[in-house]
Amino acid sequence: MELVGIFKYLYELLADSGLPEVWVELIGLVAAAVMVFGLLALIALFLVWWERKVSAHIQQRFGPMLTGWHGWRQTIADALKLLQKEDITPTTADRPVYYWAPIIAFVAAFAAYVVIPFGEGLIVADLNVGILFIVAITTFTIISLLMAGWGSNNKYALLGGMRSAAQVVSYEVPMVVSILAVIVFAGSLSMVQIVESQELIYQWYIFRLPFGPIAFVTYIIAATAETNRTPFDIPEAEQELVAGFNVEYSGMKFAMFFLAEFVNVFTVSAIGTTLFLGGWQGPWLPSWVWFFIKTFALVFVFMWFRWTYPRLRVDQLMEFSWKFLVPLSFANLILAGLMKYSGWFNW
Amino acid sequence: MVKKLVDAIKNLVIGLFTTGKHLGRHAVTLQYPKEKWQEMPERSRGIVVLLSDKETGKLNCTVCMLCQRACPTAAIRIEFEKVEKKRVLKDFIVDNTICCFCGLCEDTCNFAAIKMAPKYEFSTLSKEDLIWHRDKLQEMGRDVPYEKPVRKKKAVAKKPAEKTAGTAAKPKTTTGDETGKEKPKAQNGQTEAEKAKNETGRTETPKPDKVEPSKPEKPEPGGDDNKNKKDDSQATTESGESEKDSRKESK
Repeated sequence: MELVGIFKYLYELLADSGLPEVWVELIGLVAAAVMVFGLLALIALFLVWWERKVSAHIQQRFGPMLTGWHGWRQTIADALKLLQKEDITPTTADRPVYYWAPIIAFVAAFAAYVVIPFGEGLIVADLNVGILFIVAITTFTIISLLMAGWGSNNKYALLGGMRSAAQVVSYEVPMVVSILAVIVFAGSLSMVQIVESQELIYQWYIFRLPFGPIAFVTYIIAATAETNRTPFDIPEAEQELVAGFNVEYSGMKFAMFFLAEFVNVFTVSAIGTTLFLGGWQGPWLPSWVWFFIKTFALVFVFMWFRWTYPRLRVDQLMEFSWKFLVPLSFANLILAGLMKYSGWFNW
Repeated sequence: MVKKLVDAIKNLVIGLFTTGKHLGRHAVTLQYPKEKWQEMPERSRGIVVLLSDKETGKLNCTVCMLCQRACPTAAIRIEFEKVEKKRVLKDFIVDNTICCFCGLCEDTCNFAAIKMAPKYEFSTLSKEDLIWHRDKLQEMGRDVPYEKPVRKKKAVAKKPAEKTAGTAAKPKTTTGDETGKEKPKAQNGQTEAEKAKNETGRTETPKPDKVEPSKPEKPEPGGDDNKNKKDDSQATTESGESEKDSRKESK
């Protein structure tokens, strides 16, 4: 079952209805945006539930069990509860900054999906600078976290915001450089072309020895830090900072931060899938099924990390990035360039 | 440097495998209102109860006031009156709102009169209902198994008889005829053993009748079944209760 055919059919139906072409384009885009938005909201809700389940079973508990089958309706109830909650703004808060921070986080998290190919042809817009666009747009998260920390006018929130800014900026470098290694090999910034260049399993960039696995591991580590997850979760270290940048947020604004966090996890997994695991490529099943299988497997790895590793100290965190990951990823980039130039493993 | 790095990576992977292993295991927690332990551990400390003699049905309490004095939170209050220089129990009040379940009252008691029974479900809707009086405490303690302590004087004579009997459930019956020679002792032991057998037979027979019919309706067919078999009468009644509860819960 290929979804592309259905969408194409619907689009043609719209085009035949006699509307001006501008409107057809516009409606198509809005429909695509709404669909992606709805899908991601669903995925974020699912991930919250899944995370609770994974954490529970790693600790040999059950997690939510009472609402529906294995408590699957729990996050829906939680989301509805958060919608009803009072939206509190602290009196000393910097109002505009406080107000816009969650919105920016939310939009930045969702905007990346413009260029992520969910399957063969299932992409909102195949930009020829796709991966660059993603890197640029996900960096907005830092701004939103800083804004939240500053706008709340709370020392814990500010500390969390500053920490997260320092962390995300320093891990952005190894992440982008490890992505760059793939780009050097693929010779394109377009997500679709990167996926098309790894059609067979030995062509996946994770299997291009020796640079592929190294790039993949550095990417995964940096992505864990980018999404502020354990073991790199010092921006929201509960024991030290209560909850970090989102201490003062409540109700819907908190829900936006929360959803954005889980959407970010899915984003980095989707990028990892696209760049290293062959994106939608795979036999028998429809392409979008393959994409979701691989992405959820990566998400599971992130969850696994979270419930296995203890948190790093701030100085350890910085040292690890600048003294280890950055040199490693740069060396890896040079290696990838040499391999590409010499034609080794260049199938 | 390289060795350190390899070690670090190795340990990270080991950590992942450890949590992964636990992910594959079945959860050890119970879904409490639906699932319960059919039988609490014998020495678990739940609610305070007063024990009564199994034959006469009277309370073992001799109003020595030791438990009242031992209670660190003053949850126990004993009211008595004096009849011919002997204390007679009027009321035994346990305030469960301030009881801290330390078990000191049980430790101090020399007459097996008070015990922390392995029962734990006694929540009420009002605070007043948690102050339990003598009758309620006695009622709760009726089916709690206990061992009556052996008085020191007669302990020496009684021991062989107990050994043959296998159970120390009824020391009171042996108190009368212990000073004799070997033979009567052995006879006594025999009868004791038979008695015990009869006793156990009696307590065990009602079990299957009670448990079996409720089995097919059980919502959780997990590992609870074999637990029922070794229960004594107290546990069966409790499990029957809990099963009723669980059925109610699941409907």
